[in-house]
Amino acid sequence: MITLAHFVIVSAILFSIGLYAVLAKKNAILILVGIELMINAAVLNLVAFGRYDGALYGGQTFALFAIVLAAAAVAVALAIILNVYKHYKSIDPDDINELKD
Amino acid sequence: MDHLNPISPTVSAALIVLLAPLLAFIITVVSGKRMKSGLPAVLAMAISLLAAIFVFANIWNEEVIHQQIPWFTVGSNTFTLGIILNNLSAIMVVLVCVIALPVHIYSMVYMKDDGGIHRYWMYLSLFCFAMLGLVLVDSLLLMYMAWELVGFASYLLIGFWFTKTAAVKANKKAFLINRIGDLGFLIGIAILYTQFHTLDLVALFGEEGLVKQAINDGNSWYSAGESMPAEWLTIAGISFFLGAMAKSAQFPFHIWLPDAMEGPTAVSSLIHAATMVAAGVFMLVRISPLFDSQVLLLIASIGAFTAFMAASIALTQNDIKKILAFSTISQLGFMMVAIGIGQYGAAIFHLVTHAFFKCLLFLSAGAVIHEMHHLKEKYQLDFDAQDIRNMGGLRKFMPWTFRLTLVAALALAGLPLTAGYLSKDAILIYTFEWSEWQSGYWKIVPIALFVTSALTAFYIGRLVFKVFFGKFRLEKLLQKHLHVQEAPKWMLYPMFFLTLGALFAFFSYNPLVFEDAWLLKGFELTETLQRVNIYHTVVPAAINSISVVVIFIAWRWYARGKYPVEKLTGVWYRFSESQWYFNMLYDRVIVKGLIETSRFFYAFDRAVVDGIVNRSGAMVRLLANLSQWLDRNVVDGLVNGVGKLSFNLGGILRGSRKGKVQYYLLSMLFFLLIVLLVGLNLF
Repeated sequence: MITLAHFVIVSAILFSIGLYAVLAKKNAILILVGIELMINAAVLNLVAFGRYDGALYGGQTFALFAIVLAAAAVAVALAIILNVYKHYKSIDPDDINELKD
Repeated sequence: MDHLNPISPTVSAALIVLLAPLLAFIITVVSGKRMKSGLPAVLAMAISLLAAIFVFANIWNEEVIHQQIPWFTVGSNTFTLGIILNNLSAIMVVLVCVIALPVHIYSMVYMKDDGGIHRYWMYLSLFCFAMLGLVLVDSLLLMYMAWELVGFASYLLIGFWFTKTAAVKANKKAFLINRIGDLGFLIGIAILYTQFHTLDLVALFGEEGLVKQAINDGNSWYSAGESMPAEWLTIAGISFFLGAMAKSAQFPFHIWLPDAMEGPTAVSSLIHAATMVAAGVFMLVRISPLFDSQVLLLIASIGAFTAFMAASIALTQNDIKKILAFSTISQLGFMMVAIGIGQYGAAIFHLVTHAFFKCLLFLSAGAVIHEMHHLKEKYQLDFDAQDIRNMGGLRKFMPWTFRLTLVAALALAGLPLTAGYLSKDAILIYTFEWSEWQSGYWKIVPIALFVTSALTAFYIGRLVFKVFFGKFRLEKLLQKHLHVQEAPKWMLYPMFFLTLGALFAFFSYNPLVFEDAWLLKGFELTETLQRVNIYHTVVPAAINSISVVVIFIAWRWYARGKYPVEKLTGVWYRFSESQWYFNMLYDRVIVKGLIETSRFFYAFDRAVVDGIVNRSGAMVRLLANLSQWLDRNVVDGLVNGVGKLSFNLGGILRGSRKGKVQYYLLSMLFFLLIVLLVGLNLF
């Protein structure tokens, strides 16, 4: 029997993997992937807890919104990464250490 | 006030006497090198002489004139500028002018070809001005100034030929030795000023003067509410005498005078006759009331010793001027003895007669030297023009010079019919009379003078016979026929004039008894000695017969060449020839001592004083190094440490901010976790 706890644990693992990717990866795209993982962990939590809202399915609805927003965010983020690459010829976040343009 | 009184003709004449040489000096200085003739100097001296005779005629045995104007005030004591005209200054003023004028005229010929003649006239005028000032002024302060000026002018004149090392050495010596005397004079002035609060000669030494009114009870010396221990009276007297000793070349300060012969001969005659050396005697007479019996005894014994010593040295000298120099010292010793026995009139009398015949002797010597020099240049020879061993038989060549010298020599030897006879016998007889009243061994003073008189006759005889008699030794020496000329006319005229003063007629109608001399009568005797009649006949007779015998011996020895011994190597001869080794003694003891002392102090300075300074310097440097180290390492270290600390801290902290986004995120996560943990635990 798959309980809520399993969902939460998977979600936590996903979040942690995402967090690790964000903190450790030397590639902006993989960081972006990490962010997506973390968003998806949150979405998984929303869906898992949405089971308890049988009347409105608020959890599921909010998950859909989140997925859409995440997709939009990925588009924006990829655009930024492209611009960064153009400017710095690198997408390693360590190389991008200047605040001024 | 005195200065509002109309100035009497006598005083204005005295001022003319004083200021004419000063004016000549200024004119000569302004004209510089163009002044070769010396006309202003000679004219000024002639004017001075005329004015001096006028002053003398009005003052001699007449009223004393003392006129002064205030000069400056120190505290409540006013110092004055003024002149005093009494018998003493009157006779001295005339004497200085009478001697100076012939010397000036003589110098016109004698110094004619000298390159520095413009300086010569300048110095000569200054010298005469200083000497006239010395005799005329009325206060010790002015007298001291004139005294110094005389010393300075003599320094210039002695060193006139300043390219000669000997002349430079001689004038330095004269100046230095005179400085010692000046110091004595100054101390004396200081003592008198402390006691009496005035330096006015009349107020101090006049008839009703402070010195005469001061009481000395053997313990203290009282004067108008002031008192000091009685010794100060003696010390003051000795101080003044010290000044006179240096100026008048008395033992032990006589050594400058023979060296002063390096100056031109005309200058020597002036210095030796009427001016410089007379200044000391004059000063002592001026302040005579000051001396107590101890000082007088000291003066008499120094005078007697000097007279004898100098005469014994003069016996063996070979330089014609040196002989005369020692003769001067010896005669000054006579004058000192006269002062020492309280016979100031006799001292001045001898000063005056001596001035004439000594000046004449020097001018004759100058004429001889002048002609010998002439000879040297004419025949291109090389010999010492002043050495009497080179002379001889000159009377054939220079008959007038010889005759005049002879008169002067007789006067110096003190033979009858001369002025020297009168004054020297005066001193001798007074000294014998004086010794009657002293304890037994003071008889040595008249005996010393007696012996000195005999020696004087010998050495002057030797000089005359060696120079003017016998054969001309230079001819024999050089195997050449030489012809010496007579001195120029204008050198002889002044000498004629002086010859008059060397004869008795000028001073007394009676050639044999000095007491009839008008000059002597012009000075009242401060200490009347009881007349011992026997001395008045025995002493002159004895001294003159001895003199004649001595001169005869000298004539046999030197004129006839019957000298008793061939070679002169005796101890006494060498003792006399080396001038009693005084120069050597002073060189060894004083000069060397001084040099050694200064060497010692130099070493001391080097080792100890410099050592201390250097050590303390080193110590300060050490200290400075230490504090520098402290400053650098501790104080700066503290400041720098703080700075470094914050720098390092900053460095460390900066390390965390290196623009790495992922670190920022990580740290944010940590802090978030910490906050969450803390928050969970606390709340």
